[in-house]
Amino acid sequence: MKFIVSSSSLLKQLQHISGVINANTVLPILEDFLFEVEKNKLTVVATDLETVMRIQLDIEAKDSGKVCIPAKILLDSLKNIPDQPLTFNIDKNFAIEITSDNGKYKVMGENPDNFPKEPVSDDTTSFTVTASALITAINKTLFATSTDDLRPAMTGVFFELDKKGMQCVATDAHRLVRYKRKDVSCPKSDTFIVPRKPLNLLKTAIPGNGDELTISYNSNHLFVKHGTTQMSCRLIDARFPDYKVVIPADNPYRLTVNKSDFQSALRRVSIFSNKSTNQVALNISGSELQLAAQDVDFSFEGTERMKCQYNGEDLMIAFNAKFLIEMLNAADGDEVNVELSTPTKAGLIKPTDQDEEEELLMLVMPLMLNQ
Amino acid sequence: MFQKRYIAHFDLDSFFVSVEILNNPSLKGKPVLVGGYERGVVAACSYEARKFGIHSAMPMKKALQLCPHAIVTNSSRGEYSKYSRIVTEIIHEKVPAFEKASIDEFYCDMTGMDKFFGVSHYTRELREYIIKETGLPISCGLGSAKFIAKMATNEAKPNGFLEIPHGRETDFLWPLGIEKINGVGKQTEQHLKTFGLYKIEDIARTPKELIEKYAGKWGESLWNKAHGRGSAEIETGWEQKSMSHENTFDKDYTDIAFLHKEIVRLTEKTAYGLREDEKLTGCVTIKIKYSDFEVSSRQETIDYTALDDQLIAKAKDLFNKSYQKGRPVRLIGVRFSQLIPFTMQMSLFDNNISKLNLYKAVDNIKNQFGSELVSKASSLRKKTK
Repeated sequence: MKFIVSSSSLLKQLQHISGVINANTVLPILEDFLFEVEKNKLTVVATDLETVMRIQLDIEAKDSGKVCIPAKILLDSLKNIPDQPLTFNIDKNFAIEITSDNGKYKVMGENPDNFPKEPVSDDTTSFTVTASALITAINKTLFATSTDDLRPAMTGVFFELDKKGMQCVATDAHRLVRYKRKDVSCPKSDTFIVPRKPLNLLKTAIPGNGDELTISYNSNHLFVKHGTTQMSCRLIDARFPDYKVVIPADNPYRLTVNKSDFQSALRRVSIFSNKSTNQVALNISGSELQLAAQDVDFSFEGTERMKCQYNGEDLMIAFNAKFLIEMLNAADGDEVNVELSTPTKAGLIKPTDQDEEEELLMLVMPLMLNQ
Repeated sequence: MFQKRYIAHFDLDSFFVSVEILNNPSLKGKPVLVGGYERGVVAACSYEARKFGIHSAMPMKKALQLCPHAIVTNSSRGEYSKYSRIVTEIIHEKVPAFEKASIDEFYCDMTGMDKFFGVSHYTRELREYIIKETGLPISCGLGSAKFIAKMATNEAKPNGFLEIPHGRETDFLWPLGIEKINGVGKQTEQHLKTFGLYKIEDIARTPKELIEKYAGKWGESLWNKAHGRGSAEIETGWEQKSMSHENTFDKDYTDIAFLHKEIVRLTEKTAYGLREDEKLTGCVTIKIKYSDFEVSSRQETIDYTALDDQLIAKAKDLFNKSYQKGRPVRLIGVRFSQLIPFTMQMSLFDNNISKLNLYKAVDNIKNQFGSELVSKASSLRKKTK
């Protein structure tokens, strides 16, 4: 088999899917790309058995065939070859010879029959969503997922779909983010949990523009299609915690602050906090918010005051500053509302002004202040 | 000019044995071994037992071959730390700065005491006071550096006192064999002897550069020690880096249910210590020693916690991930590291406060009535006695 392909366009496409490949895999063939050539089209597949990504590009080829090519050496060489057409020659024993203007490179491929099969998209439900809507939903939720594999349900983003919209929820038991979009419609009411890795990969493989994506799912798998780029992944088979009951309905006190001022103050003060807990205490009274952190081991201390609007009783509550900073990052607009009740109950964070089509709600549990 | 330092080193003689004798005076004058019966090692042995060539850390089996009529006991197990605490309290009261190097070893900085009392006189009195208060024999060495004080203690044993006056360090050190220097183990000893270095004097008379070549990085401090120069800094603010418990079984086990039971028991025990110290842990490690002494350990970071249920779940998970099924296990250990002061992150789905209150209530029972009294049903052991 022989084909000719542009080095730069091949590299660009491969970089979209190379993130699937794990550095240390049990199965050596998972370190390979599967190349499938048919009628001047090249399809490349990468998989880690959980997530499969596939791209397609135009090439010059007379015949058709398949081969597995080790991913790392191919990417490393493409990165160093200036833009030019490359000729790939593959013999019966899956030995690959790449010819460029500069010279020849040889590498041993593997038998494509041993490459794992992709999941079949049987019995699926489909809906469409713009690329930017999906990427935004991922960006606003993914950071709040858990890494604790003892609670698998929390290691992914929970999707709730119905005719009126799409809702994405993520939590690590300390904080929770719920992001709603009303400009999406799904034919059925369904829920599923998507793992972190494929969502992270989508962020790099899909441009955040107005392009339309097709999302399909069945009981085990999710399929996302954007033009010639496709991704499929196994869904997390676990029950997502009943998050609705933990969202407080009636936090009586509302604190309104300038988002970027609050975030910068947290960044500065938390430098002086204990590095393990990142504890920053918020002391709110009247129209003043005081932030205080300390690290007893090193005798570090940081305090700042800032203006705020507040309608409640004086309150002292402590949070992990890292959580707050990440959540403020996810909020659009200049101002946020923080709704509070007592120092041991969850605080709610919402952007003051929200788009009609979307709704963001974030929840964070406090740190217990030392008595 | 440096200020003259006075460091005293106290070491309770065969501490565990002494406590056993205190609780059971009939053991006095007999070869006594403290440690596990079947498979453990000798944790301590009486001077009578040492005559048979037994030393601590020797496998119990071997010790009993050497001295079949030795009495093996560990009946006062809970008492060791109690006596250690009494001694610590006395030292804390009487000494300006001290470092607790282990359960039965203390370094005290006596510098400055010479202005008020004679250091030597005061140290002697302190030693006699400890003996009077606890009834335990204790040896003591006094010198200008930590290692000199410790070596003096070793020479003073059993139940003695030895002072190395300032300026006379080399007179004391040089005639001694190199193996007496703190830190020279069997291997270093053998290695240095191949270069003809038998006595500490030999090291001192060899150029520093050569010693550095022979002993590597450690050479400089070894050479300095041979000249009687060493650290006199007492580390009082010592921070605990990790907490652990491990258990060597009476025989090898492959039974998963039993091993899980042990993990629950060890985790519960370590978590109790964690809460007593008002700490949280951010990293759990499980250690498995197989019957062929191969050790595998696996650790994972977790969200900071001191709650039994979360720690047990993680410990079991780590065990299941690393245990090679069917391989006989000799020892299991649980360690918590990345300890931080207590700051509880509240959870959305668990009521951490009520859980914590539950565990604290159990801890209180343990504190009042003994730590062996309450434990999880799943970790209960059959009484063998």
